[in-house]
Amino acid sequence: MNDDYLWDKSGDPDPQIQQLEEILGSLRYQPQPLRYEPNALKHRRNYFPLLAIAATVVVALLTGGLWLQLRTEEASIPAVAIAQPTTPRINPAFDSPINSPLSAPSYSPKKHKPVLVNREERQEALAAKQQLLFALRLASEKLNTAYRRTQTPSQIKNQHKAG
Amino acid sequence: MATADMLLMNPLAPAAPELATETPPVEVGLVRAALEGDRDGFGRLYSLYAPLVHGILLARVPRTEVDDLVQDIFLHAFRKLHTLRDSAAFGPWIAMIARNRAVDFHRRSRATVEITDELRGSDKQQSKAAEILGLIRSLPDAYRETLVLRLVEGMTGPEIAERTGLTAASVRVNLHRGMKLLREKLGTTEGL
Repeated sequence: MNDDYLWDKSGDPDPQIQQLEEILGSLRYQPQPLRYEPNALKHRRNYFPLLAIAATVVVALLTGGLWLQLRTEEASIPAVAIAQPTTPRINPAFDSPINSPLSAPSYSPKKHKPVLVNREERQEALAAKQQLLFALRLASEKLNTAYRRTQTPSQIKNQHKAG
Repeated sequence: MATADMLLMNPLAPAAPELATETPPVEVGLVRAALEGDRDGFGRLYSLYAPLVHGILLARVPRTEVDDLVQDIFLHAFRKLHTLRDSAAFGPWIAMIARNRAVDFHRRSRATVEITDELRGSDKQQSKAAEILGLIRSLPDAYRETLVLRLVEGMTGPEIAERTGLTAASVRVNLHRGMKLLREKLGTTEGL
């Protein structure tokens, strides 16, 4: 068997290979112009990751701000409570620090008005704070998940044409 | 033949460095031009290598998908051309993209039945061609690609070696062994 024809179409032609070439030639590549996409060279910028990062930062800042504010308010409550034992007992009628008109302005280290709350209200406020922090943490996690999903390699379209 | 058997040990071995230097520099200039935004330069690369990509895909995916995939592959190559380190290796690079895309196609697509020309009711030669192509596709990977490039796309052995980056000896062995297997399969069916 002479392989030259199969190799570089030189030498004596092999009739079977010639017949195969003739039949299979109908499947040969037919030149077609390359259809460029409108912006083939311009990289399409995906802004979603940047937006996700920005949103995460905003949420984190809001969370921090709220936490600081709550903490400040929380700190102001014990100030009133701590002031109670040191309050000079001038009159038994003014024994309660909450109701005392003298205790709050005299012993509060802050200039702003102290928040006067009872124990139940404070518990409610703490529970609300915990809920808020949990919600913010959840939102942050969701944003992080969305961001991670956008980091996977982009899929090329037109892959599911079969069927 | 002993040499051929030895070479068959690694039929997909990359070209030896001395052969790689034989690559005509036309690709280098065209790649450079395309990188500078010259679409005509890339258009020439497309004209030169579209038959190669077409043949590689035809050996692996349904015929109805091949033309669209050729377009996709070249557009992908156009966008990623800056990642090609050696401009002279454009052929092996795009051949590898085509092979990977064929693998992706099978990974992502659902099981399909190719609509043959028989079902379409076209002429007899087309259906015969589809039948023989089916036999070629049943051959081992290294053989079917080389045979499609030779018998369908009409490329010679040296051209296949030059474009794909395989050694000439490997291509020769693949052609010889693949043709032998194809003859056996044609003999067991109805023959030509």
